[in-house]
Amino acid sequence: MGLLSILKKLRSNPDKELRLLLLGLDNAGKTTLLKQLASEDVNHVTPTAGFNIKSVLSNGFKLNVWDIGGQRKIRPYWRNYFENTDILIYVVDCSDHQRLEETSQELAELLQDEKLRAVPLLVYANKQDLETALPASEVAQNLGLHLIRDRTWQIQSCVATDGTGVKEGMEWVCKNIPVKK
Amino acid sequence: MTEVIATEEMKQQTRAEAILKGFQVNWMNLRDADTDVSGKILWQHNEDMSNPDVEHEARVPKRILKCRVVSRELNFSSVESMERFRLEQKVLFKGRCLEEWFFEFGYVIANSCNTWQSMIESAPESQMMPANVLNGNVVIETKFFDGDMLITTSKVRLFYI
Repeated sequence: MGLLSILKKLRSNPDKELRLLLLGLDNAGKTTLLKQLASEDVNHVTPTAGFNIKSVLSNGFKLNVWDIGGQRKIRPYWRNYFENTDILIYVVDCSDHQRLEETSQELAELLQDEKLRAVPLLVYANKQDLETALPASEVAQNLGLHLIRDRTWQIQSCVATDGTGVKEGMEWVCKNIPVKK
Repeated sequence: MTEVIATEEMKQQTRAEAILKGFQVNWMNLRDADTDVSGKILWQHNEDMSNPDVEHEARVPKRILKCRVVSRELNFSSVESMERFRLEQKVLFKGRCLEEWFFEFGYVIANSCNTWQSMIESAPESQMMPANVLNGNVVIETKFFDGDMLITTSKVRLFYI
């Protein structure tokens, strides 16, 4: 499933613009995931020192995906991009045990933000090809996903570098695009 | 009162100049973004095309006109932060506007490097003019703004080869 097909699903939506926000710690795989969605070469991804935006236009409909750098010094700026978000996609490096606590805290902060209130959440449990990767169920527990009451959420195992699981997550995104008033 | 306005205008101008000084387009490319072709680069340019003093030229393969989905990617960096960075892009044919695009980035982090890629599904082929008619007659004009403040205008003339 590419970005264009996501956009096509939007055609039943009265709102003509859709905004996905991609967040997570540095080295979680956000940019790789985004490139995978656009069927681009994922071999030369470097740390994002700002943002990457992909906007897809078709028949007057527009899909914007914002991938904001995850380095600690950039995280304070995340809030600048929250406005009008339709779906929040949070990417976790499941092999990075040491920073599981940190990623969980960052996510908790996002979920408390007024601007992201009730925005559906998709968590990609990335890097499942690595031997040391925790399974999605364990990551979900660590992130406290089962405690979320104010929005729909989903966790999806994936390998961003080869595309495994990426499509399934995007299918969930398409089904959960909120209808705006 | 007029003095106050004049000072305000001067401040704006100084600010615009500061932003422009630290603003740079690092590269631009055009790709065939049809899903099954996996984003083949058709054209790439690694010089700053935001320089307002010259009209830049781009030589693009003709077959881009046949692509169903075209992607335009722009990488830029900025020393200054911007509150509401946005672009207005016009496709001009012999000076007449054929298409107009607006895009708002919003906040730009100081000392950041960013990419914007837009993928556009093309109009049906019947609406497309042939390469020999378009050749050298198409100019892409990009205006960079912070809010209402114009930072710079870039012009790129397209040649289809």
